[in-house]
Amino acid sequence: MSNDLKNILSNLNPGIEQEKLLQYLNNHLDASEAHEVEKQLNEDPFLNDAMEGLQELKQKSTLPVTLHQLNKNLKKQINSSKKKRAEKISFQQPWIYYTIIILLVLCVIAYVVITRF
Amino acid sequence: MNKQRYHHIEDKELLNRFYNDRNNEWLGVLLERYTLLLFGVCMKYLKNEENAKDSVQHVFLKVINELHKYKVEYFKSWLYMVTKNHCLMQLRDKGKYSIEINENMVSSVADEDAKKDVLEKEFSLEKMEKAMQQLNEEQQLCVTLFYLEKKSYQEVSSETGYNIMQVKSHIQNGKRNLKIQMQKMQHEQ
Repeated sequence: MSNDLKNILSNLNPGIEQEKLLQYLNNHLDASEAHEVEKQLNEDPFLNDAMEGLQELKQKSTLPVTLHQLNKNLKKQINSSKKKRAEKISFQQPWIYYTIIILLVLCVIAYVVITRF
Repeated sequence: MNKQRYHHIEDKELLNRFYNDRNNEWLGVLLERYTLLLFGVCMKYLKNEENAKDSVQHVFLKVINELHKYKVEYFKSWLYMVTKNHCLMQLRDKGKYSIEINENMVSSVADEDAKKDVLEKEFSLEKMEKAMQQLNEEQQLCVTLFYLEKKSYQEVSSETGYNIMQVKSHIQNGKRNLKIQMQKMQHEQ
């Protein structure tokens, strides 16, 4: 609980950050807000690179659509990776082993029967 | 998944949850926070919207498939490195870029530690002023306007007559030089 409180106070709020960055890109921030974003740009090479890249976009207005699309695909990737994982787990189910054992036993019996008679 | 629900959780905590239960949903939440940044970085290197989109998805896939293999400490730095690496590889495959991949890649984690290091040490105002005087005129002017008077790039630009790109580089170089000066002074003590 106290940890959660601490998290609220820490200025890490990436969702809002993305929103802020979009506003910054579209020149929708006033000077002092722009300054805050720029201060972070100077601190953070990742952010700075990203901003330089985004500023090269010819059409910034389609950016939210692009973001939405990428996030939708991300969700698909996450879901399909979960499915794959589920399949992997199902392979570990006991009936697989029972089947293998039964087949082996049948082989042995067949071998004995063939050699004896 | 409800995005708002996870807002208060820090990257580090999400990463820990993922390492604990290997549930990719945590990764989904984590990655979604960086979609815009990833796209931006890919744009910067690849200069093409479609390629950038493809690359973001490749990076997502790479993270989903490979993160569990490593014990990553700073997710953000690691992600930045993976993304940059991916873009540079793409450029290299197209022959636009010759190797030179490694040097800048590894530094980001160390950077974060170094930054903390610098921040934790106490700086006296006097020392800071002395270091400021070592900067060249443009850097001094831009750093003062930006950091002390809290102006935006746009305002600094219209006050000084430099264009935005120049303002940005004066501030960034000024800051870097300032840091170097401060470290030097600490060393001398």
